[in-house]
Amino acid sequence: MKAFQEFTKGIINENPVFVMALGLCPTLAVSTSVSNAIGMGAAATFVLLCSNIIISLIKNLIPNKVRIPCFILVIASFVTIVDMTMEAYVPPLHKSLGIFIPLIVVNCIILGRAEAFASKNGVFKSILDGLGMGVGFTLAIMVIALIREILGAGTILDMRILPASYKPMIAAILPPGAFITIGLLMGLLNIFQNKKKSKA
Amino acid sequence: MKEIIRPALILLIICVIASVILAIIYKQTAPLIAQNKLMAEEQARKTVLPEAAVFKPVIENDQILYYEGFDTDSSLVGYVFSCFQYGYSSDVKTMVGLTTNLKISAITVVSQMETPGLGANCTKLGFLNQFSGKDPAEIYVDKDGGDIQSLTGATITSRAVTNAIRDTFLKIRDKL
Repeated sequence: MKAFQEFTKGIINENPVFVMALGLCPTLAVSTSVSNAIGMGAAATFVLLCSNIIISLIKNLIPNKVRIPCFILVIASFVTIVDMTMEAYVPPLHKSLGIFIPLIVVNCIILGRAEAFASKNGVFKSILDGLGMGVGFTLAIMVIALIREILGAGTILDMRILPASYKPMIAAILPPGAFITIGLLMGLLNIFQNKKKSKA
Repeated sequence: MKEIIRPALILLIICVIASVILAIIYKQTAPLIAQNKLMAEEQARKTVLPEAAVFKPVIENDQILYYEGFDTDSSLVGYVFSCFQYGYSSDVKTMVGLTTNLKISAITVVSQMETPGLGANCTKLGFLNQFSGKDPAEIYVDKDGGDIQSLTGATITSRAVTNAIRDTFLKIRDKL
């Protein structure tokens, strides 16, 4: 049960985007369409999982004083390895995901989980934590992208769902749309959380 | 003193290990990546000039100016040139096919790192197809008074593609 909680906590209670407000830069930038959100979510989850595993394995070797540079080094090397291997062996995948890879480096969720969780817990727990946080991030960015794509283009995954007479609200897929959407969603989530608390 | 040297040494060791791993992987993947890029370019030339079977580079001062496309009877069916201009956040590199009467046959975006969902939409066919059949010396985006419809929220990227094609064409026109 406890292990399962390490996985689920990232999805709602400690959602990296809505609750901890981490990784906002890629969230705002890449939530313009659902297909981009899935690509970014998948790539970030993969790197997060791998960096959590490696850091929880070498946590006892790293002196406390230089832990942050060590984490950054591990994450950056890992991202570069993934980038080069993908480009060499699976070029089609690299073509569709390649654009997200430089953005993963600026995703502070990965460094945040390395510092707050993987450097203090074992491998198994870190795997669950990485997966949970990755899924939470992917869901959050997908929800934002869904709203922005419907309003801004009238489509979901490039399929038209609103009638052709709908005039797209272009502001929704421009940067201001990202800020407004994420703000409203965070507010809504806070209302629910507060209601839960006052009941308990 | 010991407190400074020990962490620094460990950091150094981790750095060395990371660089060695990266160097090995780079050595493994670099030739494959270069080969993939060549194949992707060959593929792009076929996309923009489907009538051609063989492409022959035309070289001036050690630089490839453009490619001549020949069909299976080795008669000239058109030209292919590539061009790039800095868009919003990256160089947008475009491959352009020309018919023998110097109209655009088709274009394709070879590489770009523009904003996903906005500028990155320049790779979509809806945007690319509007170039076909146009005179490359006369293309402008709608905001500059032309008839190339800009991408939503990405006028800068659209303009980079359009202007790169026009400028490069004007430079090589007399040599075709």
